[in-house]
Amino acid sequence: MAEIFDALPGIEVPVGAITRNLAKMWEDTAAKGGPAPAADDVKATQVNFVLHLGFNTTVTDAVEQFQTAVLFSQRAPCRVVVLCPLPIDDPGTEMRAKIYGECHLGKSKGDTRCCEFVLLSYPFAARRFLESQLSVCLIADLPLFYWVHRFASIHRLSEYQYLLQRSERILIDSAIADLGISSFVWPRPEAVRDLVYARLLPVRQSIGQLLSGYEPKLLVHGLRAVAVTHGEKYLAEGRVLLAWVKERLVGCEASTEVSYDCRLAPTGENGVLKLDFEYTNGHCFRWYGDLERKNACIDADFGSGRSTMHIAVSLLSPDAALSDAMFF
Amino acid sequence: MPDAQRHPFLQGLSKHRGAPPTVVVIFGASGDLTARKLIPAVFNLGYDNLLPADFFLVGFGRKPIPDDEFRQGAAAAIKEFSRRELNPDVWNRIAANTSYVAGGYDERAAFDRLAKHITAIETKIGREVQTLFYISTPPSVFAPILLNLGASGLASRYLGRRHHAKVIIEKPFGRDLISARALNTTIRSVFEEHQVYRIDHYLGKETVQDLLVQRFANAIFEPLWNRNFVDSVQISVAEEVGVGTRGGYYEQSGALRDMIQNHTMQLVALTAMEPPVSLDAEAVRDEKVKVLKSIQPLKVGPGGDVARAQYAAGMMGGKQVKGYLEEEGINPQSTTETYAAMRLSVNNWRWQGVPFYIRSGKCLARRVSEIAIQFKRPPGTLFAESDRFNLAANTLAFQIQPDEGLSLVLNGKVPGLETRMQPVKMNFRYSTTFGSNTPEAYERLVLDAMIGDGTLFIRGDEAETSWALYTPVLEAWAAAGREGMDSYAAGSWGPAAAEALVADSKHTWRKP
Repeated sequence: MAEIFDALPGIEVPVGAITRNLAKMWEDTAAKGGPAPAADDVKATQVNFVLHLGFNTTVTDAVEQFQTAVLFSQRAPCRVVVLCPLPIDDPGTEMRAKIYGECHLGKSKGDTRCCEFVLLSYPFAARRFLESQLSVCLIADLPLFYWVHRFASIHRLSEYQYLLQRSERILIDSAIADLGISSFVWPRPEAVRDLVYARLLPVRQSIGQLLSGYEPKLLVHGLRAVAVTHGEKYLAEGRVLLAWVKERLVGCEASTEVSYDCRLAPTGENGVLKLDFEYTNGHCFRWYGDLERKNACIDADFGSGRSTMHIAVSLLSPDAALSDAMFF
Repeated sequence: MPDAQRHPFLQGLSKHRGAPPTVVVIFGASGDLTARKLIPAVFNLGYDNLLPADFFLVGFGRKPIPDDEFRQGAAAAIKEFSRRELNPDVWNRIAANTSYVAGGYDERAAFDRLAKHITAIETKIGREVQTLFYISTPPSVFAPILLNLGASGLASRYLGRRHHAKVIIEKPFGRDLISARALNTTIRSVFEEHQVYRIDHYLGKETVQDLLVQRFANAIFEPLWNRNFVDSVQISVAEEVGVGTRGGYYEQSGALRDMIQNHTMQLVALTAMEPPVSLDAEAVRDEKVKVLKSIQPLKVGPGGDVARAQYAAGMMGGKQVKGYLEEEGINPQSTTETYAAMRLSVNNWRWQGVPFYIRSGKCLARRVSEIAIQFKRPPGTLFAESDRFNLAANTLAFQIQPDEGLSLVLNGKVPGLETRMQPVKMNFRYSTTFGSNTPEAYERLVLDAMIGDGTLFIRGDEAETSWALYTPVLEAWAAAGREGMDSYAAGSWGPAAAEALVADSKHTWRKP
């Protein structure tokens, strides 16, 4: 994990002088004529955002997630703290810190938003001291959001109860999470959000907008089976979409006899995400998406004639999914 | 509507993501507002994936325009006026469902053609669609459009169902109380009130909506929001521009009709109203009407509650500018005010004795719209020595435009051995916190109408209550002619008569 900390951008500073060095970083940038906040109001931090990289994170992946956090901070200026634990058997005993800042220039003079990153590398054995160290890296009184990324064992999260207890939202990505996630007992399950569900927003929206045009009873009348078919890389999306559709259909008072099935698409249809409602009364509903080509076709017939519609659809980008999972 | 009461397939989605299949019909499709605001609003809603998949845009106007030409004009408008650059993918999807119907506003057959056009859309897609009519025309044709929507059956489409027809009407909602009542009578002869969305774009501005959040989501303000702690309230809607080429229009309007009666009174209502029982449209509008009805009739004349003026020659941005009476298309004996200021007394438990000063004008020193709440000075004499302590009144100012945000003036100690103090200002700016590329007012309002949320629109009785307050003023001014008309130098903050209005209570106008 030390290689991740080394690979991520930033200036290494003493752990005990993070705040002072952050201020100096902006002063030095301004002195060189670079974009820097002239006053605290330019930083205008909205939230504290902790990205916790687990042991399954690779260097390339860490850099990618860091960039996602940068993009997210352009939407919502924040203090980002990136936690990089050293492997359990790493002989290191000291914490290390890096600081990093970026300013985004908007269309107007007033539209300059700057965000700050603090990167902390810590020996796994020192995790019990992390709470205190983290507290001085965060901005007081602002909400805390916690993004858990690629933990080798989700049960290690139990070691970070203060983050689980205090965060407004805890973000996980069930597409890449440890399988134990389904059995993990969250202290505040209402705070947990799945980024897969967030990414599916445009799909849920297009299905929801269309089906909400029909009476719930009509949607479930004669409904026999529901199937989601997904390409190989969209297994999690398929599973989450099916769970969502099932919940919605139960809300429409669908029969308990309806079967729900999640299937893998044939080889070569990697971008596919399909939803089929099978009826006994001639009605039909099909939502066929190609997430790689960013389009979908909807076929519907609920007794007033068949209609076919082609729409543009794609999953939310990683930073937009973060934003949706955090704020909505 | 609580999430649990929504259609199961909309539960968990933001209400703004659940717009039903919709045809938006714009009357006045070749007009300025359509190009500057409406088309860019539709494009940006499409960009944000907020339009329903079955979305259709129909322009309606007197001028015969081929569909392709209308689409090209719309694309050009997006290029020129949209907050985002034209994205071909997004626009092509909208353009594919964009068409134009030509016809006179008083031509019944044209509305029958429009009805057939909408039915053909439904047949093509195999689904029912709601129709949202946007009347963006001069007020002289409001009535024929409304009556023809009624006669052709378009107004009552799917009435009683979720897809019922809706209508957005642009201001002005009348010129006085009589004409406002007449317009409302026409509207109600054709539409039910819940179908009607009277638009005041000020209500779509983030800062105006934030006013409700600041008031009712922060425990620190509401306990102070009354006559015990508030000294006065000032609401300014100042424009830098003069009448320019709109002299002909402005001569028939004036500052009171153009700005005070609508935008400014909405700001007054949101500032002064009691907490609504919910954020439901009717609950909010009930409270707004209640507070508007609490405002006492205005005294006109010397020592009264109103001031009016016209701008005279002056300097704007270091350059000499003409006075109003020298502007093109203006009668040299014009009695139209380019500036109006009022002192309102809100006669209710919360506000009795707190003056609400409102003003609006053209050719003022700076373009700014703000609401400033000035609090009373703290009691006692601890810091009463005026030569030692520069004690400012605490002022909470909501800046609506430009540089949307709010500021709070507090008194702080100047560092040093002696206790000296100075006012300090705490700022919150939308652009630094959220970026400046936030949705425009029209985007929010068009989408709200599409999903049937009338919270940010004006109800008929609100418009009438406001006109009931100002019609006697307009009548008195009309009777007085130029008598009592003050003037102010272009580029200044207004006339002496306005200063006198606040000086009675030892206040001064802010220069924000």
